[in-house]
Amino acid sequence: MRARREPLPSQEQRAVELFEKFDKFAPLRNSLRKIAAERAEWAGIPMQLDGTQLIVEKSYPYAQVLNAPPDDGEEPGIKVRNSWWSSRLRAEVYIYEEDGKIKKLIARKAPHNFSLDIATFGCMDVWGLEQEQKAMQLLATLVKHRQLKQYILTGGFLETSRRSGLMYFFRRLRPTVVIDARDQSSDESARILCTLCMHPIAHYKATWAGAMTPTDDVVAHLMLMRGDEHMFWKRANQHAPDRPEAGL
Amino acid sequence: MTGEVGILNVGAGDTKLVFDPNNPQEMIRAARIVKDMIRRGYALLVEVKAPDVGQPSTYRRAYDFDESTCEYIIADLDPIAAERADNEEAETQEPASASDTADQPQAKRAKKARTRRVHASTTRTVAVARTAGG
Repeated sequence: MRARREPLPSQEQRAVELFEKFDKFAPLRNSLRKIAAERAEWAGIPMQLDGTQLIVEKSYPYAQVLNAPPDDGEEPGIKVRNSWWSSRLRAEVYIYEEDGKIKKLIARKAPHNFSLDIATFGCMDVWGLEQEQKAMQLLATLVKHRQLKQYILTGGFLETSRRSGLMYFFRRLRPTVVIDARDQSSDESARILCTLCMHPIAHYKATWAGAMTPTDDVVAHLMLMRGDEHMFWKRANQHAPDRPEAGL
Repeated sequence: MTGEVGILNVGAGDTKLVFDPNNPQEMIRAARIVKDMIRRGYALLVEVKAPDVGQPSTYRRAYDFDESTCEYIIADLDPIAAERADNEEAETQEPASASDTADQPQAKRAKKARTRRVHASTTRTVAVARTAGG
C-alpha cells in the first residue's frame, strides 16, 4: 500500500511561511486579513500596536472596540478656556482657569519634527513588505513613469489638479503639500497653502502613520484629488505650513 | 473586456474585484460587494476614458451602483469642459441693451444634475474607505 503524499505547498504558501518566519507580526496581520475577509470588512481590520493609540473612523463597525476612551486632556480643577497656535512663538498657547484664576501656558515646540518622525518610524510593524509591494504595483498603474520614478527615488511626486490648477506634492508618510502656483504673471513665487493629512480607516495618534501601508495612503490621496477634490479637502485635516504636523 | 476594482486594504495592500462578463457568478459577487461599499461610505473613483483619442482619462466618484446592470452612476459633468464653455460664451456674448431686457423676463437656466452610467466591465476603479483624519 502506497503512503499518501501530501500536496506540495503552493508558491504563495511558501512566500507566506517565509514572511512569517522573518516578520513576527506577519502571522497577526495575516490572521486579521482572513477575519476581515470572512466578516466582509473590505478595507481590512487595523492592527493595535503597543505604545501607540489607534484612532479609528467613527462609523467603522469595530470603532468602539478599537478606539481608546476619549481623553479631554484636562486635569481635575483645571479648565482650558482657549488655545491656539502661535507662529511667532512656534508654540501652542493655552489660557486656562485654575482655582478661580486665569492663567496662561506657552507650550513651545522643538524647531524640528523628529518626535513625529521617530513615532511614525515606530509604527513600521503594522505594515508588511508584501502589502507595500502590492500598493506600489497599484500606484505604478495610476501614474506616469516619471512620477513613479520620483516616488521610488525621493518618496514623493507632483501632480497638478486639472480642476483647480493647484499643485499637489504627494509624499510617503507625510501630509500632502498643496502649492498654489497658478498666478504665473506675478513676481511672487508659488506659495504653500497648507498640507492635507488623511488616512483611510484609521491612523496612529501623534504620528504620520496610517493603518494602511504608506503607499496605500498616497494612492488614497491621489485618487480622491483626481476623482473628487472637494471631498479630499473636506475629509482631510488641514495643517498650516508652520505647524509641526505639516511635516515641512 | 474586463473591469476591475482595486480596494485599498489594511492587511492585503490592495485586493481586486473583477467584472468579467464571461464569469456571471463573479460579476454578481463583485456587484454585491461594490454596492455594499457604497452603502458604507467608501469613495469609488471610476476611470472615465476621454472621448478624444490622445486625451488623458479623468476620474469621477461614483454616487451609486446599479447591481442589476453592473453600472456605476457618476455625475455627467466635466468641470473643465464646463468652465471652457462658460469662458467661450462670455467672450462671444454681446452685452444686453436696456430695451432688450425691459419687457422680457430673463430665462432662467435650468441647472439639473445629470448622471451618466459606466459599465463596470469597461473600466477600472479604486475604492477608498472612509477616512479617520490625520
